[in-house]
Order: sequence, then C-alpha cells, then structure tokens
Amino acid sequence: MLDSLTPVITEDEAALYDRQIRLWGLDSQKRLRASSVLVCGLCGLGAEITKNLVLAGVKSITLMDHTDVTNLDVVANFLAPHDSIGKNIAEASKERAQNLNPMVQVLSDTEDLATKPGSFFGEFDVVVVARCSDKDLLIKINDYCRSSGAVFYAAGVHGMFGYMFVDLNQHNYVEEQKEFTEVVVNGEKQKTEETKMVKRNESFLQLSAALDVDWTSPKYSSRLKRISAGYFIMHVLLEFHALHHRLPAPSMREADRCELLTIKRSLLAKMEVPEDKLDDAFAELVFGQVSPVCAIVGGEVAAEVIKAVTKKDPPHNNFFFFSTLEDGAGIVQCIGA
Amino acid sequence: MAAHVSGIFPTSIQNSIKSSKVLVVGAGGIGCELLKNLVLSGFHDIEVIDLDTIDVSNLNRQFLFHKQHVGRSKSQVARESALQFCPQANIVAHHDSIMSPDYGVTFYQKFSVVMNALDNRAARNHVNRMCLAADITLIESGSAGYLGQVTVIRKGSTECYECQPKAAAKTFPGCTIRNTPSEPIHCIVWAKHLFNQLFGEGDPDEDVSPDSADPELRDQTQGDSTSQNGSSSQSTAKDSTTNGNGSLPAANAAGNVERTSTRTWAQSHNYDPQKLFSKLFHDDIVYLLSMDKLWSKRRKPTPLTWETIMAQQNEESEDSSDGVIKDQVLWTLPQCLQVLSTATAECSKRFQALPSGDHLVWDKDDQSSMDFVTACANIRAHVFGIPQKTRFDVKCHDSLDDGSEFRVVADAEQLKKIQDSASAETPAATAADGQAGDSDEDIQMVEADESSPSAKKRKTSNQDSDQPLKKPRTQREDDDVVLL
Repeated sequence: MLDSLTPVITEDEAALYDRQIRLWGLDSQKRLRASSVLVCGLCGLGAEITKNLVLAGVKSITLMDHTDVTNLDVVANFLAPHDSIGKNIAEASKERAQNLNPMVQVLSDTEDLATKPGSFFGEFDVVVVARCSDKDLLIKINDYCRSSGAVFYAAGVHGMFGYMFVDLNQHNYVEEQKEFTEVVVNGEKQKTEETKMVKRNESFLQLSAALDVDWTSPKYSSRLKRISAGYFIMHVLLEFHALHHRLPAPSMREADRCELLTIKRSLLAKMEVPEDKLDDAFAELVFGQVSPVCAIVGGEVAAEVIKAVTKKDPPHNNFFFFSTLEDGAGIVQCIGA
Repeated sequence: MAAHVSGIFPTSIQNSIKSSKVLVVGAGGIGCELLKNLVLSGFHDIEVIDLDTIDVSNLNRQFLFHKQHVGRSKSQVARESALQFCPQANIVAHHDSIMSPDYGVTFYQKFSVVMNALDNRAARNHVNRMCLAADITLIESGSAGYLGQVTVIRKGSTECYECQPKAAAKTFPGCTIRNTPSEPIHCIVWAKHLFNQLFGEGDPDEDVSPDSADPELRDQTQGDSTSQNGSSSQSTAKDSTTNGNGSLPAANAAGNVERTSTRTWAQSHNYDPQKLFSKLFHDDIVYLLSMDKLWSKRRKPTPLTWETIMAQQNEESEDSSDGVIKDQVLWTLPQCLQVLSTATAECSKRFQALPSGDHLVWDKDDQSSMDFVTACANIRAHVFGIPQKTRFDVKCHDSLDDGSEFRVVADAEQLKKIQDSASAETPAATAADGQAGDSDEDIQMVEADESSPSAKKRKTSNQDSDQPLKKPRTQREDDDVVLL
C-alpha cells in the first residue's frame, strides 16, 4: 500500500538517513519523503522547525512570511544571514535551509498568512504556524486545515517561554509494545522479548475548544491546580496581541511588563481563575526570542510532526508548554472543553 | 545576539552571558546544537574541541556540517558555521582529544563553565575529574534515539559523574563467543573481535580461536585430570588441528591451546581470503567438533569449504529487493564469501600500508570494515545453524559502537555477578525527546544503557538532599507528561 504511493529510498538517502532509519524504520522515512509541509513565521522557532524537518527529509517545505528581517530576528533565526536585514525573511532563510539537505525541495512564499484562502492549505499535509498571536486567525487556519485534511500546529516562543498546540483531528497510529515471556530452555529460565505493533486511535480538539475552558466546571476546577502556568501565559500573550496588535517588545520592556500584569489580572478574573495561578515573574520572561528555548520547542514540534506524518508512536495531545517558571520542565497537557 | 540586544534578558542574566567564557567538549549532534544556541544567546567567547572528522551519516543531525565538509575536522567546520550565525563571536577550535595532557587544570580554569557533548564514557569520566580538580561547573549531557538528558555537576554541591556505578556493559562468557555461539549477537561479537585480531588493536581477551579451557570440558574430567595437562579430548583436538594449515597448537599447563596469534598467521598467509576462510570456518570448526562434550546437548556446527559454497553460486535466484535498501537484503552464503574476499583485500591493504606497530581503528561507518564483520558473522552463523542478519541489522548492534565494548569474561561466576548487579539497575526514566538534543554515535540506545540509569540516580539523590535540581519525570499522571 505504502510502496505504491511513495518513492523508493535511494542508496544516497539510505547513507544520509542511516541513523534515523535505524530509529524510526524505512517505512517512516518513506512517509516523510512523501510529505509537504508549510512553515509559517520564520522567527527563531520557525527556523528550528524548518531545520529539523529539512534534516529529517520531508518532500517539500514552504517557508512563508511576509515580514522583513530585523535585528531581533537574526539573534534567533540562524537561517537568515546578518546582511539580510530589511529583506523578506522567508526569502532570506531559503538558501541556508536548502543547504541543510539538498534532497528536500525548499520553497518560499512572501504573502501574509491572513490573506490566504482556505484552498491554499489543501496543498499541504502539515501546517505549522510559528509566529502568529492573532487568536482569530489561528482559529480560522485551524478550520481550513480540518476541512482540507492537513494536520495543524500553532506554536510560539516568547523570550524564555514557549508553547505548542496540535490538532490531528482523528489520528490513527501504531505503537510498539514490548512483551516479555519466560521460557524454560534446558532447565534454565530465559526471558524472551517480543515487539508487537499495536494500532491505536486518538481524537483531538480544535483550537477554539482548547482555548475556551470553563474553569468553574467540576471537571476543570479540580484540575486547575495541576494545569501548567504556561497555558495562562499563552492566554495573556494572545490577549496582549489582541489589544496592541504586536508582541511585548524588548525596547519597551518596563512598560510592557506592567501591561502584561494588568492583562493577567483582568484575564484571570474573567476566567474565574485565582491570580496566584500565574506568578508575576512571568512578565519578566516573555521578551524577544531566546535561542535555546526555540530549540526546545522547535525540537518538540518537529518530533511531533514526524510522529504525525509517520503515523508511529503516541502523539502529544494537545498542548506542550515550556517555561523557566516550572523548573525548566516541558509539560504536555490535554486541555479543552 | 540576544544578550547584546537590551530587553530580551533580565539585566543580570544579560551581563553574565556577555562576560562568560565557555568550553564545549564534542562537536557532534549535541555539540552542534549547543554552539548555535550559545552564539545566538550572546556567548562570544567559546572554545570547542573534537578529535573526529565529518562522516556522511552525521549530516542528518549535525547540522553545522554539509556534504562538502565530509572528511574535514568537526571542530573547525563547526567553528566556521557557527561564526556565520554570529560573525562577532570569538571561537577557538581544537581538532584534538580532550584527554590529551595538553589540556590540564589551568586550561579548564579559563572557563566559566564546561559543557560535555560527548559520546563515550572514558572522555566523560576524564572531563568530570578535570572539572572537579579545576573547580569548574560541568554540564553533562547525552542522548539516544528519542531520549536525552542533562545534568549539572558542581564540586561540593552535586554528585559527580562517577559517584554512582554505571550499569555494566553487556557481557558474554568467552567460551560462548569462541566455542558455542547460539545467537546472532555471539557471531557478531566474534566477527568484531576477529577484525581487531587481524587489523585492529589486538586484545588478548578477544581471542577468536577455539577455547580448550571451556569449563564444560573441565567438568567432564572433574577432579582427576586437572593436574595432568589436559584430558584425552584435548589431545585429540590438538592433533586434529595440526593437520591443515601449519598453525601448531599445543595444550599448555592451564589447558589453553598455544597458537600463533591470528594476525601472525594471517600475515604469514598474506591475508589470502580462501586460506583464512579454511582456517576459521573449517579447521577451527573441526577442532571444536572434536570437543565432543560440547555437542552432547547442542546442535553440532558444520565445517564449510570454499569450493562447495562457490559451486552453489549458479543455483542462486535473482534477488527481488524491491522497496528495501541494499543493506536490508540478506546476503547468501556465496555472497558472503565474495564480500569477505573484497573486504579482506581492502582491509589488509590498508593495514599493511601503515607503519609497523600501527593498526586500523574500528569504525562501523567504514564500508570495508563493516562488510568484513557482516560477512564473517553470517558465515559463522551459518556454521552454527544460527539465523543470519542483514548488514543493516548487524550495524544496529551496540557491540559495534565506538564508545561501548562488549565485555567477554572467562569465568561463569564472574559473569553471573556482573549480570546480577546489572539487573539490579532500574531502567532509565528520564526523557526529553525531539531533534534538538539528537545524538552523537548513539542512536541505538548505547547512551541510554550507560549513562541514563546513573543520571536518574543522581537526580533522585539530589532531591533527597534538597539540592536545587529538577523534578524527576512523572509518568503519565492522568493526561500530563512532564519532559525534563
């Protein structure tokens, strides 16, 4: 079934991808080799996701961004050269992305995500939106992806905080399960290990449902204590963008820090969530983009895209949060109505 | 870079980054990621050291290297590529071993922090001790497949890398490898030992010839003949190998057969593949068969002759290998012989070109070395009626990995002790997946075997003593997964 749809892996590819084929198998590599990915938003996070998926060997990747390279971009997006400041960042990132793996088709698109019609997303198997804090737009793109059959990821890195949301709709996958049996051979007990492939299915929520939670409901009021503070940092940042049409700026650090705290108070009050759920220290941590955090979140997003495309191993459902507030731990949680 | 743009970091962090000088040990999978993250964060004073050169199989994750860099020094190319991300940075590259005496305590004391991005335990132990001696903070890391880990090691505050014993390497009794293999891994280990005996750093513990000191043979004559230099079965065996090819074994006082070393033997026969084959897969097997006690409950091995196998060649059908890569096709026996011929010729040519006393270094990414081991392992497997493996599967075995050796012990009691202590170890429970921390030479769980269990222990005990370290990973707690 797979063989008739996907290209044969050449010996050159087998040599280049040797280590990863050992990890996820030849069939997975073929599935990757047949997949088209859209990465929207060539910030540091977008660059990390692009690097990881180009290295993994997808069929094609389209870098989409309508903005120009700034001095803030080049401290996080290592694909955009320093002398490209002022040029379109998708175009500027293309050459280095291509150099990572000549076997992948790297394309660029300089149009604004907001202007794309729903049919545009049908060209892709995977859509990753990496620099968009416009909640309504994200929800719209998520809808487009549902109707076109693409899997949808929304992710962001803000200073030392990062998150990922994923919607795989209905996802079928296989998981390896090890079974141990004891056999007696020549009077000696021997353990034999057998690996079985088990088929599973998982349902996902859309972003609109994942953002709209009634924290006074019995289900969520009891869960609140364990919910990552990252979920609320994400809400505050989306709200900041809704009010100011921009992100907190390093150059306006003090003023924006105060504004973030104001937004936090009104937002948590509206959600009926106690204020101490989110430590005020978060407002110190969400400026610009910090490369190691882009690497962590970008690593997670790319690993999740690989799982989704190869239909192997259980995917994260449906949020991943990383912040230095939570001891530098990355947390996966399923949140939504 | 981030620390050079005000407002991204809180001021105190910004200043520390700008004033730090850091050392990155290793420019592999983790090292490449580290260098990128360091220069973009604003670390401008960096030294990087790696003794390795770039191989094509590195390129899928060591992203500072591209195809045109294959064969060049990792540390030097990593420096050049990282400078493109931050032309203002000052990066010093050392194409060298960190274990060289040139890097002493004063070298380490230049740095604010040292980061290990290594792929072997020996170098990790060394840097750990140097950092303790120099009183410098060490950040230790490792990854394998989807798993990875990071630990901070600070003299007086945390445990060090060697505070907890590491899980023992997998071990096999020497006689299983030399006399009575029953699994493919036994043949693979034997073939790797054979490679080292012939072309590599010959280790006396890795002898590949039949072992007449097998405890199973001793049991046969328990009590009465140990002082009499060998039982009758041993002298019969000795006689049978003397026919053949001129190696003249003789039982010594310990019951071992004294032989010309395999290397000397091969050299005296000019590495003739047919003669080598005849000795290893016919004469030595005949000798093993003469130890009849070994085969009373086992399937007997079948000695092979070159001519008989080559005669089968015409009967072979065309291989239908659609949809798989070349390495995943199982070689037929005649194919093994052809590969053995070519690979032996290539390896011996390279070995003989070296100055006297020098030797080849095992590298599973080297075509001829890997071919040699796969062919020999499969021919031996055939002799003993053990399932054969594809080149792809043979390469998967961690026994072939650079940093980890399989230990072979002579004594069954010693083996049992090692196995008992190994099974007492709990499996690694730390996890952080993703490309970001992808590994060096260790996708096949080598690192997980050797370093994760101990790292987990460190974390646990750090918690007990209120050290400011991270939470251990909690297993799915309802729907939450915590990744450290």
